[in-house]
Amino acid sequence: MQASPTGVFMVGWEYPPHNSGGLGVACQGLTQALAEQNTQIYFTLPYKTGFSASHMEILDCGADLGVLSIAHPPFLAYQTTPISLPEMSSKISPQSYLEEQVAQYTQKVVDQALLHRNSDVIHAHDWMAFPAATKVAEKLKKPFVAQVHSTEYDRIPSGNGSNFIQQTEYEGLQAATRVIAVSYYTKELLIAKYGVPRDKISVVHNGIVPVQLSTAQSPFATKRPVVTFMGRLTMQKGTEFFLQLAQRVLMQIPNALFILAGDGDLYHELLWRVADQQLTASVLFSGFVRDKQRELLLDRSDVFVMPSVSEPFGLVALEAAQRNTPVIVSKQSGVYEAMPSALVADFWDIDLMTQQVVQLLTDTQTHQTQVVAQQSEVSRATWSRAADQVRRVYRTAFLGK
Amino acid sequence: MPQICLYFELHQPLRLAPVPLTTIGSEVPSYFRLTERDDNKVIFSKVAKKSYYPMLRLLRELLATEPKFTFALSLSGVFLDQAQAYEPELIVLLQSLVKTGRVELLSETYYHSLASLYSNTEFAAQIAQHKKMLKKLFGVVPTVFRNTELIYSNAIAEQVAKLKYIGMLTEAVPRYLGDRPPTQVYQSATKSQLHLLLKQAQLSDDIAFRFSDRSWKWFPLSVRQYLEWFKSYGPSECVNLFMDFETFGEHQWEETGIFEFFTAFVSDAIHNEQYVFVTPSTALQTKSAGVYDVPKPISWADVDRDLTAWTGNALQQDTLRIIYSLEEKIIATKNAALLADWRFLQTSDHFYYMCTKWSADGDVHAYFSPYDSPFEAYRQYAVVLAHLLERLE
Repeated sequence: MQASPTGVFMVGWEYPPHNSGGLGVACQGLTQALAEQNTQIYFTLPYKTGFSASHMEILDCGADLGVLSIAHPPFLAYQTTPISLPEMSSKISPQSYLEEQVAQYTQKVVDQALLHRNSDVIHAHDWMAFPAATKVAEKLKKPFVAQVHSTEYDRIPSGNGSNFIQQTEYEGLQAATRVIAVSYYTKELLIAKYGVPRDKISVVHNGIVPVQLSTAQSPFATKRPVVTFMGRLTMQKGTEFFLQLAQRVLMQIPNALFILAGDGDLYHELLWRVADQQLTASVLFSGFVRDKQRELLLDRSDVFVMPSVSEPFGLVALEAAQRNTPVIVSKQSGVYEAMPSALVADFWDIDLMTQQVVQLLTDTQTHQTQVVAQQSEVSRATWSRAADQVRRVYRTAFLGK
Repeated sequence: MPQICLYFELHQPLRLAPVPLTTIGSEVPSYFRLTERDDNKVIFSKVAKKSYYPMLRLLRELLATEPKFTFALSLSGVFLDQAQAYEPELIVLLQSLVKTGRVELLSETYYHSLASLYSNTEFAAQIAQHKKMLKKLFGVVPTVFRNTELIYSNAIAEQVAKLKYIGMLTEAVPRYLGDRPPTQVYQSATKSQLHLLLKQAQLSDDIAFRFSDRSWKWFPLSVRQYLEWFKSYGPSECVNLFMDFETFGEHQWEETGIFEFFTAFVSDAIHNEQYVFVTPSTALQTKSAGVYDVPKPISWADVDRDLTAWTGNALQQDTLRIIYSLEEKIIATKNAALLADWRFLQTSDHFYYMCTKWSADGDVHAYFSPYDSPFEAYRQYAVVLAHLLERLE
């Protein structure tokens, strides 16, 4: 009896190198591990990739919405302020633009699915992919697995998120045969906010690809203690708490260097505040970083802080740990479940985070102990383990529960 | 029949290269050039081709054909550095002009900096360095001072007077000048007196800004019309036309007819109107018509004629605060490379790029900035500051 599904039609939204954050990275890690476990994957993207992956077939489902969809393919869905559309603002509002973009993507994905019918399961990543996956599953009469990497409640913690997006998330989760949450934190949120039945949700933590740490001498050789934030500069990510933390730590350790790596809609506001508080030489911005720059930053950091207001997982914290940087994450983060040796504090608890940072910067023993503990947890957080669990979900879905 | 005093400013900043944050703590080749490609050279050579060469040659021609033609130039040290490195022919050309004895060179801060606002000692040091350079390259000792962007205040005048200049150039700002004409010589409101020449903004900006503006009432401006406007001034008055040298060929392109206009202006002014061209040092010999009392700094920039283009927002204020707070430490290192970098980072343009003022001035700022936004200018400058600070440790 071979009841294990081996073909997956996966509906994505972003993929490296065209990624704005963790979603693309997670899709890469997961699909690579699934492929190693003999899973055939079709992977759709809403833009022309211009590259191919050896482990799966990428299907270009780019929508014809002009410049923007090409210039910022994946970024749009995670935009948290009104999008400025220089060429289109007069004609259509951003909201309807986004709806239109998702609708077009849905249509293209369905077209592609009809040409690639030999899949056993439809697997969709986040809300942008849910409408397409729902339709495809209906047409092909195949089970639909909805994976949630982040919800509108995470992205816009004030609660003023888009109704359209929340509705799309809700409908997708209802239509799905099974739901995968990237953490128990997210699972609880899906139960509380979207009314998803508890036993319909499986938790699969993200993994991380092992790396060989460079032994070459780094050009980032500052002698100052370095405390890093890396992520989108948005309210969700708790950037303002990082800034408050910087102020407080600098009172005790004046030569500490705080770095905000990333881009986002709070960027200008953060620059203003840093300059206003006369912190220009103490809090630096790197802009959006990838590849080598990203590694150099994480390698050199003495403490990595992720003060997210709501973080379904927070893959970057694992990356920092992997690069021997002690991590402090907010209690409102899923990654803590996979890496319990990380220090934890409520995102608003500047007092506690200040103590934690100061101790890590001044006490080498604590620093070292945490690095070692994190490493052993990181080594267990593999994508092959995640793929195992995802395949189990496929099987459950395939067998009709 | 007024006198006409011409002064043109030659300056190009050394713009920052995109120094990565991840080089803090290790050496970089230069803050202004990281790779083979030298953007500063590209820009300098472009401007040289469009403006410096053609206009300097034109001026040389006019000096040869018009024995009564005379004018002043101010060359920032940063400009001269780049000219020597990138376009040495420019230096030769400038030397030939100065040799005529009818081109006066003005004194300024070597680094085209805002030091006059932050440090008297640094201000004096940069003036001395510039003076030395003029002596070396042109064999002259300037007697008239012009500060970066014509920035001026009573306090600055006090500093300049101490350095034994006969006079200084600045802007005529109505809130301090009142309704007195800018065509008289004034004296500073300081203990030691300094004579002042004020820019005639209307007639200067007709050429510098409005010349190619198609929506301007007087477009296209004829020489005859332009000279007509000088007639309201009497023989005891001096119309001071102060502007960027790059007006000719760069801000106003060759196609606008700016070169022909200037040639005809000089020739008609001398032959048809019998106007007399004078240099600043000559113009300053005139008796003062009164005191120009400027308690708060002014400049020739934007509609406000104040400092807000460089010091108006927090991004500028904090970077300026830090760069000038390093003076003692930097000097104490006696490290020439460190000192030079610190001073090149003082060039006013770095702060101008961070300006976030709105309105029409914003366009002028965007035109001159190598950055996409003032925020990027600040971000990059902050990274370089941190890099410099680390070298100081």
